[in-house]
Amino acid sequence: MPQKDSVCPLYEPTKDYVRTLAYAKDKEQVASAGLDRAIFLWDVNTLTALTASNNTVTTSSLVGNKESIYSLAMNPAGSVLVSGSTEKVLRVWDPRNCSRLMKLKGHSDNVKALVISQDGSQCVSGSSDGTIKLWSLSQQRCVSTIRVHSEAVWALLATENFTHIISGGRDKLVIITELRNPDNFMIVCEETAPILRLCFTADQQGVWVSTSKSDIRCWKLPPRNSLSSDTYNQNNYNTNNVYQTQPTCHIPGGPAIKHYTVLNDKRHILTKDTVKNVALYDVLKACKVEDLGEVDYEEEVKKRFKMVFVPNWFNVDLKTGMLTIHLGQDETDCLSAWVSAKEAGLTTENDQKVNFGALLLQALLEHWNHPNRVNEAGMKVIGNNFFSVPVHTPLIFSEVGGRTLYRLQVGDASGENEGNLLVETVPSWVVEVAIEMSAPNLNKLPFYLLPHSSCQSKQDRQKKDRLVANDFIQCRKVAEHVVEKIVGGGDANGAGAKPAEDTTDSPEERVELLCCDQVLDPNMDLRTVRHFIWKSNVEFTLHYRVLKL
Amino acid sequence: MSICQDLGLNFQQRMGANISQLERDIGSEQFPPNEHYFGLVNFGKHAIAIQFYRPYIFVDHLEKNIATQKKKVGSIAPKKFIARLRKEKEEFDNYMQQDAHEFLNFLINHINEIILAERNQSTLKVQKNTSGENVTCNGTLPQNTEPTWVHEIFQGTLTSETRCLNCETVDVGQNTSITHCLKCFSDTETLNNDNKFKCDHCSSYQEAQKRMRVKKLPLILALHLKRFKYMEQYNRHIKVSHRVVFPLELRLFNTKCFQSDDAVNPDRLYDLVAVVVHCGSGPNRGHYISIVKSHGFWLLFDDDMVDKIDASAIEDFYGLTSDIQKSSETGYILFYQSRDASC
Repeated sequence: MPQKDSVCPLYEPTKDYVRTLAYAKDKEQVASAGLDRAIFLWDVNTLTALTASNNTVTTSSLVGNKESIYSLAMNPAGSVLVSGSTEKVLRVWDPRNCSRLMKLKGHSDNVKALVISQDGSQCVSGSSDGTIKLWSLSQQRCVSTIRVHSEAVWALLATENFTHIISGGRDKLVIITELRNPDNFMIVCEETAPILRLCFTADQQGVWVSTSKSDIRCWKLPPRNSLSSDTYNQNNYNTNNVYQTQPTCHIPGGPAIKHYTVLNDKRHILTKDTVKNVALYDVLKACKVEDLGEVDYEEEVKKRFKMVFVPNWFNVDLKTGMLTIHLGQDETDCLSAWVSAKEAGLTTENDQKVNFGALLLQALLEHWNHPNRVNEAGMKVIGNNFFSVPVHTPLIFSEVGGRTLYRLQVGDASGENEGNLLVETVPSWVVEVAIEMSAPNLNKLPFYLLPHSSCQSKQDRQKKDRLVANDFIQCRKVAEHVVEKIVGGGDANGAGAKPAEDTTDSPEERVELLCCDQVLDPNMDLRTVRHFIWKSNVEFTLHYRVLKL
Repeated sequence: MSICQDLGLNFQQRMGANISQLERDIGSEQFPPNEHYFGLVNFGKHAIAIQFYRPYIFVDHLEKNIATQKKKVGSIAPKKFIARLRKEKEEFDNYMQQDAHEFLNFLINHINEIILAERNQSTLKVQKNTSGENVTCNGTLPQNTEPTWVHEIFQGTLTSETRCLNCETVDVGQNTSITHCLKCFSDTETLNNDNKFKCDHCSSYQEAQKRMRVKKLPLILALHLKRFKYMEQYNRHIKVSHRVVFPLELRLFNTKCFQSDDAVNPDRLYDLVAVVVHCGSGPNRGHYISIVKSHGFWLLFDDDMVDKIDASAIEDFYGLTSDIQKSSETGYILFYQSRDASC
């Protein structure tokens, strides 16, 4: 639910994705960098004490990188900071005075991983060009190039004394290499997907590996001395020669949703995940409706096709592996979908209309103890009278550009702090709809109504009648209009529409409507006719034909 | 241009002297047997446009017409060709001046469509004959995807590669316009900021690098030089007469891909075999002439006139070195033939 004016932006300086962090343990400083090309330094103490309303923590920023930064490393003393970027060079900084120290050239592609020695005199870089380079920062040169991977290197980990480097990347291999003697290396394990991050176990005898899949595994590292050339050369290097074939520990992750289809009712979404399970979700109630198992996804989508058109009121993204629903960014976008409450299965009453966006906003914010939550009769109105959404549903308020302003779980909105922060964050149009329960505007749809060419009864009525109606009204209503105002009434001044007393025929039996020469189902609504039959947004024209007078 | 038409007729009348000149230039022993060098009478831009790639496109009646001529050189009025052209494409049904590049694209595509249509029709017939009357056409006809001779001669494959900088997977799109390829020759574009790439693999917007690469090189490489650009200060298109050197031999260099599978024939060497030259100062009018290499000779076709020229004279069509706005005779469409195909 993006908002136009930002109230309390978190991490204000960054304007794009943060790709990397570096931590200077002794100084308790963190550096962050990413696609906005600048490096920011943060004080960890302020950061940990950070609340959403107190977050001016940037101590300084280092600008000078010409391209997006994908890697950072900082020594524990916080005296040397190295950055790697798509400009293929390493830039070295002194974070204490934000000065540039040097630029190191040598890689032929993006630099995606960096580690630095304790004293800040050496640094190791891993690049998309597939190489690992050891640099001497004191001599400002590349000491050696390690070619153990067949594809891009994405993750690096150095042993404490900087004697060995553990690396991983696109080729799915975790490799340990002796830095001073790169011929001594060993494949620790082969993962099932490209490797994103490496992390030591507490005793430094093993390594945790995360990949582009959701599982995390821990692998035992070989004893460092076993890499020495004598022992190693006996085995000879080949890819089948892997130190460990079974992880010592395995934390399984859940499957991620990879595909989705928003059904025509603009309420249900069909999804397929990484293990090919298909599921049906209800956006309105923010929950899963049905697990369909390993069925044919395309077939399910086809099976659920309905000839109905409802305007878009949300977007979907899958970047977290779960469905994230982005509600339209303003009242026109978010509140565009009016439907019949009966058809939505919310009530049995005939004529009630509901707005999907409004219903969902009311449900999402029903725990928020807002002062305006009182109706004219002085009664407290809570929620939307039809349903609630699960209290654990994460709710994120963000700017139009996507930057998060505030996040909480639906159930937590009842808290006092949360309530106050919501007051600062939630746009007024959302408050009006979700709390003050004001009805959103209806969408008007203009159209022309003409007698069909086969209908000769009123030759004199050749001028186009331009009419405007709510976009969800059914053709039946238009037929009623035709019967009352044009055909049946016969009163040119429109003084009174007299329903014909001598007949019990319903309007749709007396007049039929056509669009593009196709007879319309009286139950079909106007926007569906325009979308599926007229297929254009201009000069939407309907014809009527009198069946019985 | 009805004036052109008149001029064309005039030329034809005083052809006699010129014909023997070409024969004399080449010499009777050297004159290739079974070869006829005929100019084409100009009646409007179409005629001018077609003359230069006559060696490649066997416009049937035109060829026959020329082949049956006793004379070795001369001129011919491509009336039937023009009449057909006018019928096929409304835009050409007039005496307006037309763009040679647009015309070439139309002609090649149109011929290809006709071939495909004829081929489909014949397969349809065969099907009916073999399987009797009960065959229903349900749209699942065996698609005739075999390349036509137009494909074989002119089609190359251009790929657009996008590499997501997060997962580094390469997304490959296909495109067969070689002119577009030249435009994007070797730049790598980074998709970033508000223009990030939606990576299917990452299910999110990420930075990516995008570039165009030649995947399969065609037999005949037709290069169109964009010699016309829009100038805001003049509020119209102007002709770009800059000197653009086109070598007699050409090797493409942007054939290396992100992924290991480089172009099938990345080192193909091309020889220049024909050039369409635009003469004039502006983009909206002017005259086309063409130079064609035939049996080692370079010939200049100017409407109904055919002259032998020296290879060194090609330099005259590179363009102007100074920036002064004046009339120029500049190479506009270049035809390169693959050396391994020319033998």
